Amino acid sequence: MLDNLMNWIGSFGNTRSKSLSVPVFDGALKPNNLLEEAEILVEQPGLNDLARRDDGQIFTASANTLYALSKDGALTETMTFDRVISALAFMADGRPVVGLGDRIVLAPGSADERVVDTVKGRKLVAVTAIYRQPDGGLLVCDGSDRHGVDDWAWDLMGKNSGARLIRIDPASGDATVLASGMAYAFGAYDSTETGILVSESWKHCLTSVTGKKKPAVDRLAGYPSRMSLAQGGGFWLSLFCSRTQLVEFVLKEHDFRQEMMATIEPAYWISPSFGSGQDFLEPLQGGGVKQMGVLKPWAPPRSYGLVVRFDANLVPLYSMHSRVGGRNHGICATVQDGDTLYALSKGSGRILKLSVHTVETTLLGGAAQ
Amino acid sequence: MSQTLKKLRYKYWPDHIFGEILQKPWMETAVPLIVLIFTIVFFSAQIDNFISANNLSDNFRQAAELGFVVLGISLVLIVGGIDLSVASIFALCNLLVLYCMHVWQMPLIGAVSVTLLLGAALGAINGILIGYFRMRAFLTTMVTLIVFKAIHDLLNVKVAVAISSNFPDSPAWDRMGYGAILSIPTVVWAFGILAIFTHIFLTRLRYGWWLLAVGGNRRSAYNTGLPVNRIVALSYVASGVLTAASAIFYAARLASPGADTGKGLEITVLTAAILGGIRLGGGKGSVMKAILGTLIILLITNGLLRMATPAGTSRIILATILLLAATLDIRWFKNRHKAVQELYVSPALLELPGLSKDATSPDSDYAPNERLHDVEIIGLGQVEAPEDVVLDEDDNLYCGSRHGDIIRFFAPDYKRHEVYARIGGQPLGMTFDAEYNLYVCVGGMGLYRVTRDRKVELVTDETNRHFLSIIDDSRLRLADDLDILPDGRILFSEATVRYEMHEWPTDALEGRGNGRIIMYDPKQNKTTTVLRNLIFPNGIVVASDKQSILFAESWNCTIKRYWFEGPKKGKVEMVIPNLPGYPDNINRASDGNYWLAIMGMRSQVFDLSMRKPGFRRRMSKQLPGDEWLAPNINIGCIVKFNEAGEILDVLWDRQGINHPMITSMREHKGYLYIGGITNNRIGRLKLDDADETYVSSGKYHVG
Repeated sequence: MLDNLMNWIGSFGNTRSKSLSVPVFDGALKPNNLLEEAEILVEQPGLNDLARRDDGQIFTASANTLYALSKDGALTETMTFDRVISALAFMADGRPVVGLGDRIVLAPGSADERVVDTVKGRKLVAVTAIYRQPDGGLLVCDGSDRHGVDDWAWDLMGKNSGARLIRIDPASGDATVLASGMAYAFGAYDSTETGILVSESWKHCLTSVTGKKKPAVDRLAGYPSRMSLAQGGGFWLSLFCSRTQLVEFVLKEHDFRQEMMATIEPAYWISPSFGSGQDFLEPLQGGGVKQMGVLKPWAPPRSYGLVVRFDANLVPLYSMHSRVGGRNHGICATVQDGDTLYALSKGSGRILKLSVHTVETTLLGGAAQ
Repeated sequence: MSQTLKKLRYKYWPDHIFGEILQKPWMETAVPLIVLIFTIVFFSAQIDNFISANNLSDNFRQAAELGFVVLGISLVLIVGGIDLSVASIFALCNLLVLYCMHVWQMPLIGAVSVTLLLGAALGAINGILIGYFRMRAFLTTMVTLIVFKAIHDLLNVKVAVAISSNFPDSPAWDRMGYGAILSIPTVVWAFGILAIFTHIFLTRLRYGWWLLAVGGNRRSAYNTGLPVNRIVALSYVASGVLTAASAIFYAARLASPGADTGKGLEITVLTAAILGGIRLGGGKGSVMKAILGTLIILLITNGLLRMATPAGTSRIILATILLLAATLDIRWFKNRHKAVQELYVSPALLELPGLSKDATSPDSDYAPNERLHDVEIIGLGQVEAPEDVVLDEDDNLYCGSRHGDIIRFFAPDYKRHEVYARIGGQPLGMTFDAEYNLYVCVGGMGLYRVTRDRKVELVTDETNRHFLSIIDDSRLRLADDLDILPDGRILFSEATVRYEMHEWPTDALEGRGNGRIIMYDPKQNKTTTVLRNLIFPNGIVVASDKQSILFAESWNCTIKRYWFEGPKKGKVEMVIPNLPGYPDNINRASDGNYWLAIMGMRSQVFDLSMRKPGFRRRMSKQLPGDEWLAPNINIGCIVKFNEAGEILDVLWDRQGINHPMITSMREHKGYLYIGGITNNRIGRLKLDDADETYVSSGKYHVG
């Protein structure tokens, strides 16, 4: 009763009625340094996405170029586009599908190349992720209805919810909208156990869009991004940054946020970020002050590296971290090939390589198979 | 328009004083005072002439009589005991003084003395049993209540007739009962004088503090060497004497040896004391509370009587009010600090000039570089928090540590170190006088001196209190940096008067002019505040004209100049108005210019938040300190500037590896020594083309 009353009063302005608490890293999310200590396979600015072709070849998108990635980290240029590749996937026949910001190109360069830039009368604005369903259909995340891929911070601070999940049939090219009105969409996943899931980043949840739209995994400790298939069932979820109370607080502060957006460049906003620590004009929080030459790893993060392994029943099993003070932040894509997990750190412009078996032995001990 | 209103509101509306007022100890009395006001308002509305001279005089007469007993029982409660026997002592003393006056026809002085002695003796019985024989106060005084009452009843039967059939011929005695001086009843005068004395006794005198100490924590009081037993015993004696005094005035007024005299008095006075907010647990209480409690209970009783409320009903009402007031008081007592927390932090509007976008671009004055990257490291891991560094004539290096020591590193290689002096508070700014006595500002303690033979001496920890200050600003909370003037006086900065040393981030959040600059004059041994309302004044250095100082205002990002002498005496002028970071200590360079430590850099977001006090206030309440937006003090630089405010040179540790936060630097014989309050090392940098004989400290005599 009192809570309801306080909530009602709180709806007229920023009072403390709304809780600012964010979930802590606990249980399966217990912090470690595995991402920070992972082998650095590639270091190149502009990395954006990772995908695996069915024959086992890994590809990465960096700026305008599609590269084939060898096991020892060598990049071979495969294709170049006239704009930045924002999302990447492969069709069952082995031909690529690329998102180029505001459009999707199926089988680029081939005879039946097809470009999709409008779905159900609305133009695509921010193609953030493409996922191939088990049946071959392509799930496309259109992150925003007004801000391009690079302007995601505007979308968050503007409290937009104009994201859509679109299904494209690769054979016919027919597009259907599976869900709309989402608070950013930055990754999708589909399996018989889970149904279709979308990373609804600004709501910190994985939303199930099979049947009625509802959160399948909520109260995530970070901002979820792309998902990829994990061997042995389930999936890898990368979270591109972890949450802080300060960002939640700023989201309640209308006046401050408006002025911040109007007068300051997004790189220096109070907002999550893919990478940080290289520019002293970035905001700093109290816990992030270096003491005796040490930056505490528990300090409120401006950027963070996090990959979580979920099983087929949506139970988180374990996670890999790059904590505050580390470099391998802003993980937004993963792909598994056999025992090797590749993770793309957008913050540092790196592709990291981990052995899944080693990770599981380290984290789970005897429980690992 | 709204912007102007906002500016005016933050300029003139004193946000900060509410928390400060609430923090005052006398705010504990707020609840009884409010209850009293409500009582008065209620009965004045209900009863005609409730506040008439006649009625008031009558009320006060009774209140004063009751007040004596309440004061007595309050003393006992403060010590942590309880005295139920007051009712019987009252009755016995009433009987005795009447017998003395009426039957024996003793002179007034004699009768009063004898009665007070009886009160003291009866109190002493309680006191000895409880204080020395360690008997339970409640049981003991209940037993004495019964015993004394029995004695009273036995005697009363025998003497009542004799008392009633004789009348004393003593105008003084009558005046005690009915008289008035300046139309205020005699008894009120007597009580007033006693109350003032008791107030001074409890708050200002050693023995009063002893009472509070014993009540607060008996074991601690014992351990500090207080005669606990005697103090406890004497509090009962005091209670007995005060009860006797009350009985004397009562007898003079009514001259009645009734069998019911004093019946239920112990409940009334206990109620009054508790209503006033005196804790049963001991250690808390004041005269004001006793008086307020007395007035409340008396007004309610008399008011209900005059409203012709049946006796039972009035008692129920009284009990209900007591219950409510006591609950409210306990809530207030327990939660006052929360209210203080709510209100104390009160951010101000601080509009810094725009942070020029390319303030740190490669072709600006402050262009970042890596010149501090290759410093020599001294004492890595051996020293924590060297806020300032200073060198003596033999090149030994001195710095403070957060453990409260001054550490000395030995020249020439600075590999060996020792604790030069133990101070107990964190040493901040330091400087040598000409005899190489070390003068040091100590956070939370004040200005200290470490003599050549390592004796630690207090120089000053007190300044004049400002007449408008609500918090006690006479004590030094955060003495920060100092310099010795050519005439032997010392000027030092106190960064904030509102927060303790470790709470400086809160002061940064507040951005209010909480700091000041203080002058210590050794000739007159006098400390006076010369400048106030400065926004975190930090580094101080004497300028080249020897009539002025340059000082840094950290959160204001400015360097200013203040003349303490000469034609411009008292004036303050701006030197650098818009630094890209937060300035800390300033020291002389060998070429006549100045070194300035910049502890952290401004960010646009933090600047924006400084323009939004409401944002910061809500942030401070809703988020824990580690989550607050902070000034970026993970990177800093050292700047060389001249008195015209021109930037001549800049040194950066861009990665912030060795020197994330630089709070001080000192040039000495061709080297620059660098300290930082969040660091665990001291840096040393060879300066090109610097005077290799230059020593920055140890110029002037103090005195």
